[in-house]
Amino acid sequence: MAKIGVFVCHCGENIASMVDTATLVRKISEHPGVEVCTEYKYFCSDPGQETVKRAIRENNLTGVVVAACSPRMHETTFRKACAEAGLNPYMLEMANIREHCSWVHSDKEKATEKAIEITRSLVEKVKRNNDLKPISVPVTRRALVIGGGIAGIQAALDIAGAGREVILVEREPSIGGHMSQLSETFPTLDCSQCILTPRMVEAIQHPNIKVLTYSEVESVDGYIGNFKVKIRKKARYVDINKCTGCGDCIQKCPVKKIPSEFECGLGNRTAIYTPFAQAVPNVPVIDTTRCTYFKNGKCKICQKTCQIENCIDFEMQDTFEEYEIGAIVVATGFQIQDTSLYGEYGYGKYKDVITGLSFERLASASGPTSGKILRPSDGKEPETIVFIQCAGSRDPSKGVKYCSKICCMYTAKHAMLFAHKNHHGRSQIFYMDIRAAGKGYDEFTRRAIEEDGAEYLRGRVSKLYEENGKLIVRGVDSLLGKPVEVAADMVVLATAIVPQPDAKETAKKIGIGYDEYGFYNEAHLKLRPVETATAGIYLCGACQSPKDIPDSVAQASAAAAKVIGLFSREQLEREPVVAGVNDATCAGCQGCIMACPYNAIDVRDINDRNGNLIKQVADVNPGLCQGCGTCVTFCRSNSIDLAGFTEKQIFAEVMAL
Amino acid sequence: MGIQEQYRSEAAALLSSGEVKLVIGFGPGSTADRRRPLFARTPEEAEKLVLDPACISNLTTYLVAGGLLSDGKKVAIFLKPDGIRSLNILVSECQVKPEQVVIFGYAIENNEIRPLSGRSIGDFAEIGSKIRTATPPPAVQKEAERLEAMSPAERFEFWKEQFSKCIKCYACRQACPMCYCRRCIVDVNQPQWVSTSSHTLGNFEWNLVRAFHLAGRCAACGACDRACPVNIPLRLINYRMGKEVKEAFDYHAGESSDQKPVLASFSQDDPETFIL
Ligand SMILES: Cc1cc2nc3c(=O)[nH]c(=O)nc-3n(C[C@H](O)[C@H](O)[C@H](O)COP(=O)(O)OP(=O)(O)OC[C@H]3O[C@@H](n4cnc5c(N)ncnc54)[C@H](O)[C@@H]3O)c2cc1C
Ligand code: SF4
Ligand code: SF4
Ligand code: SF4
Ligand code: SF4
Repeated sequence: MAKIGVFVCHCGENIASMVDTATLVRKISEHPGVEVCTEYKYFCSDPGQETVKRAIRENNLTGVVVAACSPRMHETTFRKACAEAGLNPYMLEMANIREHCSWVHSDKEKATEKAIEITRSLVEKVKRNNDLKPISVPVTRRALVIGGGIAGIQAALDIAGAGREVILVEREPSIGGHMSQLSETFPTLDCSQCILTPRMVEAIQHPNIKVLTYSEVESVDGYIGNFKVKIRKKARYVDINKCTGCGDCIQKCPVKKIPSEFECGLGNRTAIYTPFAQAVPNVPVIDTTRCTYFKNGKCKICQKTCQIENCIDFEMQDTFEEYEIGAIVVATGFQIQDTSLYGEYGYGKYKDVITGLSFERLASASGPTSGKILRPSDGKEPETIVFIQCAGSRDPSKGVKYCSKICCMYTAKHAMLFAHKNHHGRSQIFYMDIRAAGKGYDEFTRRAIEEDGAEYLRGRVSKLYEENGKLIVRGVDSLLGKPVEVAADMVVLATAIVPQPDAKETAKKIGIGYDEYGFYNEAHLKLRPVETATAGIYLCGACQSPKDIPDSVAQASAAAAKVIGLFSREQLEREPVVAGVNDATCAGCQGCIMACPYNAIDVRDINDRNGNLIKQVADVNPGLCQGCGTCVTFCRSNSIDLAGFTEKQIFAEVMAL
Repeated sequence: MGIQEQYRSEAAALLSSGEVKLVIGFGPGSTADRRRPLFARTPEEAEKLVLDPACISNLTTYLVAGGLLSDGKKVAIFLKPDGIRSLNILVSECQVKPEQVVIFGYAIENNEIRPLSGRSIGDFAEIGSKIRTATPPPAVQKEAERLEAMSPAERFEFWKEQFSKCIKCYACRQACPMCYCRRCIVDVNQPQWVSTSSHTLGNFEWNLVRAFHLAGRCAACGACDRACPVNIPLRLINYRMGKEVKEAFDYHAGESSDQKPVLASFSQDDPETFIL
């Protein structure tokens, strides 16, 4: 016989002012199976919880309904109380008469009626609840970090610092990401390389971190605590264990005129190359699409130059490594949008129209001009530079809808750097708004204007063309309401920050979600910003949304904290709200397998005693199942059911309304 | 040699060589214009096979009955284009392994039988793809248009009247190759989602459930419609659901055997973030 206890909470005035709790208690007390029903001002308080516990013990209750707020709010609180009183915690249901009732109604009589119905339906449900036990799964305490930009490096260092092993996978020949391309960084103008390089070195030397550069994740299987990850190590053609990084091969390589990706095409590299001087590891790779040997079968000059035997190996093949992984941090970063889609800005047409990232290379002491701001077309020092902000951002028609967040800041930085390097130079900045929220940020843009003479013109640029060696920039100053025309020597576009071009494929491989652009989705924008919807996979840096370095690093440490928290236990307790298949009725259509967004379902053979196949059925892996219920709604023959939300329970709940 | 004779002797040869364990075809029916399914297990039985324009039913239903294919052995079957599309759907829903089926394909045109070349499902890709441009029979089209021209209230009245005739015999379900479930939802009584008695509500529940369960899975073979003893125009429901799926997902049920079931699959590119 069911003995249900119902506890009606006033939530101060939150519920009691709109629901006649006395009537609710009276009505529910009469409902079959209800043993006790009481009300109280705050059941979540200590004395409130004591009341619940005492009632469970004294009446030998078989189930509890707390008619109060949403389960998100206090389900855990009352589950704990039940467990402490000796009742299985899953014999508790929350009847939400606050968010679903008192907060959204203004007619007390009707709200009371509704509260009665909600509570009654949960009483009917709890009568059909079963004892559930948390599922425990073992945890492999080794993390995988994908992407070796500043976010990935920070996450790896934090996890390794807590004594856990980390595999850091970077697909480029060196770690560092975009930060290694930057000159000086807002808001403090410290040199990017100078603050980044020590981190890169620390990562590669850390005994707990295994850095795999020039490598990519091939596949991810398994689930939280128990992932199996396959990694492809692309052939470098240089033995990473033998190479001393002397660079002789690079010096001698005859193919010298390859536009360097790292220098945004402003400088050149060879076919055997390291992307930049401070590369970590300082071991070159051979670009087989450019190498004379790989193209014509002749050359091998690098091999002849190399002092170390068998260090350069033209026969090298991609290799694969497999790792058992407990948690994954995705830190694959961003790209900048290709601005040539904006014909009006002349990008790609005029050499002196460049992106902000190219400007970083010009301003960088280690860059192609050794830190001098020079025009790419003729190498002359520009006098007037026009900066165009939101070149692609906040433009739903042609670019992207969102704000790229960092461009206002780096444009102000560029204007400052220009002023510091060329004292006669003028910076004119076309902008829509100046968005400089952040510690020291508004002060920074103010300084650009007040001390370094940056001239801000509010408005959009409509046309850009070349005339007598000058770039004529036409637009409207929307504050003055007048057309403006500036003759510039150079134009810098603050291009939009977009996801990596292969972000969606990567997400599919890893098994996480993304938004309409390809930025990765967090589990909850506000409350779970570094977790993905897939348990055990976390996010940080610009792969989630455009971010500057402080935000990327903060998020990286947050993701690391989540991983360290997960690794603090040997076993992982999981909510037992998982799906289960009825073998007898499953028709083996495999629809649920396809529908499950977490790849939690597999096929299982059912054999007779002699091992002959009778049929195949669906089989849920409780370690992977997130209890979303998608499979349940799909199954035509109702052969799959969700523990804690069984069809019987839901049916009873609905029928009680 | 006529096509009937050719298929007979080929079927007999398959059986005597042991290549297939069973041939599902047609035999004489109770009247001259009716044909009954015939299950030939020996070459002698294969001699009784009939193939003429009266062979209209969709035999794939028998492929999925009672674990016929679980031993991995091969079965030969007589199929017209709609049956081949049904088979495509059954393959995509993992009910049939394509290598287990030998197909004797035929089409009925101007009251004559025309053989379809090919014996395995891969040979009939063209038949699947034709469905993109196919139009429903003019009679169905006309009826459907008449219904669509009605106001929602009128249409509801129409179906209420039709469903009031339903006696819940489930002949439509038994005839349908896609109703291969081991336990139909209507037979679930814990909890009883669909009411068992054949009153208006119960009939509505059943017919709507059936309609939804066949959305994106119906090859329009008409088996249910022919099976219904009280002549409920089930073809119109199937037609309408097929149209919805076409319009919403550009999906044509039975187009190919590697098609992903439309309501079970989702695209990772889906901009909706409601699941992941
Ligand atoms: C022009 C410009 C100026 C800027 N100036 C400043 C500034 O002054 N101050 C500031 O705070 N911020 C600045 N930023 C922003 C800063 O660059 C970013 O905040 C930072 O780089 C984000 O780091 P991340 O690690 O998330 O991404 P990234 O730096 O993009 O690193 C991602 C890494 O992941 C790797 N990767 C990608 N996909 C894969 C894969 N599938 N497998 C393996 N590896 C992969 C990439 O190769 C890369 O190394 C600027 C940005 C731009 C464009
Ligand atoms: S959807 Fe249902 S019948 Fe189909 S495989 Fe899954 S559990 Fe079995
Ligand atoms: S409940 Fe969701 S996660 Fe679990 S098996 Fe079903 S579809 Fe997959
Ligand atoms: S009506 Fe639905 S549940 Fe019943 S047999 Fe057909 S597909 Fe299966
Ligand atoms: S065949 Fe006709 S009468 Fe029988 S259950 Fe189906 S719709 Fe109802």
